[in-house]
Amino acid sequence: MWQSRPGVLGWVMTTDHKRIGLLYFWTTLVLFAAGGAEALLMRTQLARPNQHVVGPATYDELFTMHGLTMIFFFIIPMTTGAFGNYLLPLMVGARDMAFPRMNALSYWVFLASGIFVYTSLFIGQAPNAGWFDYVPLANVKFDPGHAIDFYCLGIIFNGISSSLTAGNFIVTILKMRTPGMSFNRMPLFCFAFLAASWGLLFALPSLTADTLFLFLDRNIGTHFFDVAKGGSTLLWQHLFWIFGHPEVYILIVPAFGIATEIIPAFTQRRVVAFPLVAVAELLVVFIGFGVWAHHMFATGMPTVTVVFFAAATGVVVIPSTIQVFAWCMTFITGNARFKTPLLFIAGFIFMFVAGGLTGIMFLAVPFDQQVTDTYFVIAHFHYIIFGAAVFPIFGGMYFWFPKVTGRLYYELPGQISFWIIFVGTNLLFFPMHIVGLEGMPRRNYTYPGGLGWGTSNLLETIGSYLTTIGIIVLIVNLVVSYFRGAVAGPDPWHGATLEWTISSPPPEYNFAVLPKVSSAYPNWDYEDRAEDRRKLAEGVMVLEQGHEQPVSSPIDGWWAEIVEMPHDSPWPILLALAMSICFVLLLLHLWMGFCFALAGIVLVLLGWHGEEPQESVA
Amino acid sequence: MADHVAGGVPERFVPRTTDARNAGETAILAGRRRGPSVAFWGMAMLIASEVTLFGTFIGTYYYLRFENAHWPPPGTPEPRVVVPLIMVGILATTSLPMQLAAGAAQRGRVSSARAFLVWALAVQCGYLAWAIHDYVDQLHVSTPQDNAYSSIYYVLLGADHAHVAIGVLLVAWLVWKLARGLTMYRLNATQAVAWYWHAVNLLTLVVIGVLLSATI
Amino acid sequence: MLAGCGGSQNTLNPHSHQSADIANLFWVMMAVSFGGLALITGLLVFAWVRRGRRGLGGDAEDPHPGEKLSWFVVVGMGVVFPLMVIVALFIVGDWAIVKVTQAPAASSTDLTVEAIGHQWYWEFRYPGTKAVTADEMHIPVGTRINLVAKTADVIHSFWVPELNRKIDTIPGQENRILLYANKVGVYRGQCAEFCGLQHAHMGMLVFVQPKAQFQTWLKKQAAPAAKPASPAARRGERAFLGGSGSCSSCHAIRGTPARGFVGPDLTHLASRTTLAGLTIPNTRGYLARWITDSQHFKPGNDMPNFHLTDGELQSLVKYLEGLK
Ligand code: HEA
Ligand code: HEA
Ligand code: HEC
Ligand code: CUA
Ligand SMILES: [Cu+2]
Repeated sequence: MWQSRPGVLGWVMTTDHKRIGLLYFWTTLVLFAAGGAEALLMRTQLARPNQHVVGPATYDELFTMHGLTMIFFFIIPMTTGAFGNYLLPLMVGARDMAFPRMNALSYWVFLASGIFVYTSLFIGQAPNAGWFDYVPLANVKFDPGHAIDFYCLGIIFNGISSSLTAGNFIVTILKMRTPGMSFNRMPLFCFAFLAASWGLLFALPSLTADTLFLFLDRNIGTHFFDVAKGGSTLLWQHLFWIFGHPEVYILIVPAFGIATEIIPAFTQRRVVAFPLVAVAELLVVFIGFGVWAHHMFATGMPTVTVVFFAAATGVVVIPSTIQVFAWCMTFITGNARFKTPLLFIAGFIFMFVAGGLTGIMFLAVPFDQQVTDTYFVIAHFHYIIFGAAVFPIFGGMYFWFPKVTGRLYYELPGQISFWIIFVGTNLLFFPMHIVGLEGMPRRNYTYPGGLGWGTSNLLETIGSYLTTIGIIVLIVNLVVSYFRGAVAGPDPWHGATLEWTISSPPPEYNFAVLPKVSSAYPNWDYEDRAEDRRKLAEGVMVLEQGHEQPVSSPIDGWWAEIVEMPHDSPWPILLALAMSICFVLLLLHLWMGFCFALAGIVLVLLGWHGEEPQESVA
Repeated sequence: MADHVAGGVPERFVPRTTDARNAGETAILAGRRRGPSVAFWGMAMLIASEVTLFGTFIGTYYYLRFENAHWPPPGTPEPRVVVPLIMVGILATTSLPMQLAAGAAQRGRVSSARAFLVWALAVQCGYLAWAIHDYVDQLHVSTPQDNAYSSIYYVLLGADHAHVAIGVLLVAWLVWKLARGLTMYRLNATQAVAWYWHAVNLLTLVVIGVLLSATI
Repeated sequence: MLAGCGGSQNTLNPHSHQSADIANLFWVMMAVSFGGLALITGLLVFAWVRRGRRGLGGDAEDPHPGEKLSWFVVVGMGVVFPLMVIVALFIVGDWAIVKVTQAPAASSTDLTVEAIGHQWYWEFRYPGTKAVTADEMHIPVGTRINLVAKTADVIHSFWVPELNRKIDTIPGQENRILLYANKVGVYRGQCAEFCGLQHAHMGMLVFVQPKAQFQTWLKKQAAPAAKPASPAARRGERAFLGGSGSCSSCHAIRGTPARGFVGPDLTHLASRTTLAGLTIPNTRGYLARWITDSQHFKPGNDMPNFHLTDGELQSLVKYLEGLK
């Protein structure tokens, strides 16, 4: 079996999905801290009426960067990049992703795009027209300078990374499942990531096109969004939300996946109504493609259109309710042990339902038109994003901590961190409903005193500090546990899926022997595991001739072939570098230089593909 | 030793890419595996994503069309019909040699695969040269800066040409790779690139169709 | 700085049938939502109470304890029940209430008002009359008004929560909404779509008046500006009209050569209670400080600070104060 290269070079050139997952994890955590710091600054500014902590220009940059960071540089890369990368191959019993070098490329492109976007902040040109960046405000007439160019290019750049990841995941789930893992034996986690990846793959092009048009409008003078020359301002909004709505389900579905792993482990019961839940995970994303215009109810579209999209939004609720009740029934009929990860999942269910219910309120169009663009919407989506996407991330951090580090975290501080975060977020986001109904619009850098908004805002600010304390407790707990925690062993929770069958942390090649799988909860199938151990002892089904990996057929999981996987490679980081140069040159309008850089990309790709797998070892 | 079975297939029946030492053995192994290669699936993902991107462009085209009373706006020339149609027709025929090349590779016939690729490449290069020439020509008459119509017109057409250009690079690279024998890797690449070209040809047809719809 | 300038903008404090319908809808939705949330919380608490026990009834040894009952719950509560709730909500919200709150047929209204969003103030016009004003609109009580929302630059959103739902102003598009007030009073509104630096200071007041009073007001607003009454005010007028770069290059005062259209129409400035999108009250002190230091109150707004001598400033303010 193979080993990874030691030292820094081993990380820079790595194609190991676990290392890439960890790189993603640390990077997104730093970006989360940045997004959180921006949020805290905003909350400090808004703590009292008429404050001057930051001026309007800075405030606009803060909420734009906060939105961008949290959505594109935290949740997506954290769920797909970190959790997905680390866990998916383990869950499907594979030794790596379908395209390991492309996986590394995803990470380096993601890192580069993060640096690219954050450069704007440091040179004082940060995007400042909100995360959905409506034209004409974002067009060059009202926003000269490079701020929005950073936005456009940064999003395209980041989108490349996400698309690569999404494609990689889909192929990994379809083709790299260990032979014998047919679709009905696939863990729910994988269904969730399959759904999220399809969502990303089909949603991102719309955003790419949109930002490309805006970049062209701003920089070479096209007229996509220019009403005077036959363009359309609503075109931007449609294209943005055709991406933007599926995007919010892409944010949440991996969290569903995490929940559906934690719940069985801590209730020792298979998830109720497995097929319904699996289908619901896929459906949520699928239907999510047909509801985008519910973000545009106030734009004066014809009533029929508006009502149609409201109805579609109503339909998308069903898969969510199915899952909520399936989880609750699993809690009840199983043997629930309320350890920290499960607490986070219980909190997640609570927050998700609270946020989902305000989401349903929006489908009453007149009510939506009353509260859209107020703090009521901010409350809706923070409940559902912080509560329902971030809580499972925290829960998952605790849950898989023993797997990744080989150590146990401290339980009591873990539970304390949960309660601080739970109380903190509710204190932070609940008053936003009230202040929104009382008429406070979003994206206001300050507000007058006489309208009764002061108390709620102060509570929110206190809640934001409390939340931060909770997150810090969580992180400190994990860091201390990393050095001092008790040794975990391979399976501290008696988890259900394949990652718990191997040592913690898992070896480079994950599985020494191809695991036998006959249900979606393989670690609970004791005969199969005994057979694995027997086979390992006999030395069969171990595929040890090189960097080998079985490939199976997409639906029924029959063994199709054995392929040789690529080793560590310098090309991914080089390609990401070449791409960064391209984007910088575009930003600077150096068109000729851009063409040369494109040629550079072709050269790097040639080098990349010159390195064929060593196929003739025999 | 017991014959261990995974997913219904015994280990010894499963083809191992590393076992092939020459073109013939590669072909035999390729024939024995189940379903398309991982590379094919990767290409399918790329195509899915690109097709969606073009879908968005085309959606934009029609959205703008219905926002405008005159399409193309007065003063902007209508796209020419006959020559582009003939040229796409010619380009579309390259799906045939591409598919033949993929088939030849599958059977281990490296040199005929190369020959088919060269045939395709010649036609594709011709098309690309015409396309670039034509694009520049049109820029003398109208520019993307004229109005929303010409903006989407040039972006859509340009994006399509860019895909043809990438395809040409891919085929050229294949011709060069196959000169040094066939491996499973190159076989997979040939099949994936063939599919890329089918997609590009289809896209080109659709794109030209959409652009010509302005003349109706 | 200054408090609310009168009027609140609370969606739950409705002063029109439309707004009241929406507020009632909210209260009902909120009650149902709390019910739903309580149900789910109840299930979680129930699970906590039963922790350490498995299954339901005597089936703890079953590999899928309570599976059958759970399916009933999942399908019943997860599909049938929400469908019913949503259909009901849809009928009430998207059929009944949409009808009464949507943009009116122009013929069913008695008055049309145009609201034009600018970075960062509202311009109001009363088609059929010459009246133009800024940030403070007046309407007659108990009258169906056809409000036309337009923009001079970017997207804004016209929103007076206590009267009706909001409507965006989209370039190249004329959006409409019904405006109606049950009661005489002052209602606050605010631009609700992010429109740049001073989006936060783009408020408006709606003065709802008895019909006769409103007619008087409208007639006055339609008239040209009052002539300056004192020598100081006349000096002020001259300063205002001055050469290029002066006030008149941006502001219009009907009845004078001032025809600028960058800033608000100042013809009847003195009849307003606030300045610059409800940022400051319209008093002599604030008016003077606005002219010399508007960037302090509204950083980034399009009116530069003017460095005037005391005398110039005094006469300018005198003149503007006379624009009743
Ligand atoms: C993770 C992200 C996420 C998720 C999952 C959702 C889920 C939903 N969202 Fe949300 N939404 C956002 C993130 C998300 N949203 C964001 C970021 C915005 C604002 C963007 C911006 O403007 O910046 C937004 C804005 C937004 C709007 C536009 C508001 C406006 O700007 O005017 C609407 C309107 O329909 C909406 C609706 C919904 C609905 C119906 C759901 C549903 O999927 C919810 C379904 C869940 C449930 C229903 C919970 C289960 C409930 C029960 C089990 C109880 C029983 C149920 C019943 C009685 C029905 N959302
Ligand atoms: C994933 C999405 C996400 C998350 C998690 C959050 C989290 C938070 N958001 Fe959110 N927010 C958005 C997405 C999100 N937000 C979006 C999309 C918008 C709309 C933007 C727009 O209008 O354009 C928005 C807008 C928004 C506003 C409205 C601004 C306005 O309209 O004027 C506010 C105001 O209070 C706010 C506050 C907060 C706060 C206090 C948190 C807190 O919960 C944050 C707490 C987190 C931290 C404090 C980080 C702590 C981390 C660490 C300590 C890690 C340490 C790590 C290392 C040392 C390596 N946000
Ligand atoms: C460059 C253009 C410009 C010039 C010159 C200018 N203004 Fe303004 N003015 C504006 C704009 C724009 C506003 C609206 C600011 C806002 O509320 O965002 C405004 C607002 C005002 C207001 C508040 C109006 C209201 O209804 O709230 C007053 C009063 C005013 N200006 C007076 C003056 C005077 C007096 C001068 C000359 C000394 C002057 N302006 C010169 C652009 C200008
Ligand atoms: Cu105008 Cu916000
Ligand atoms: Cu949505």
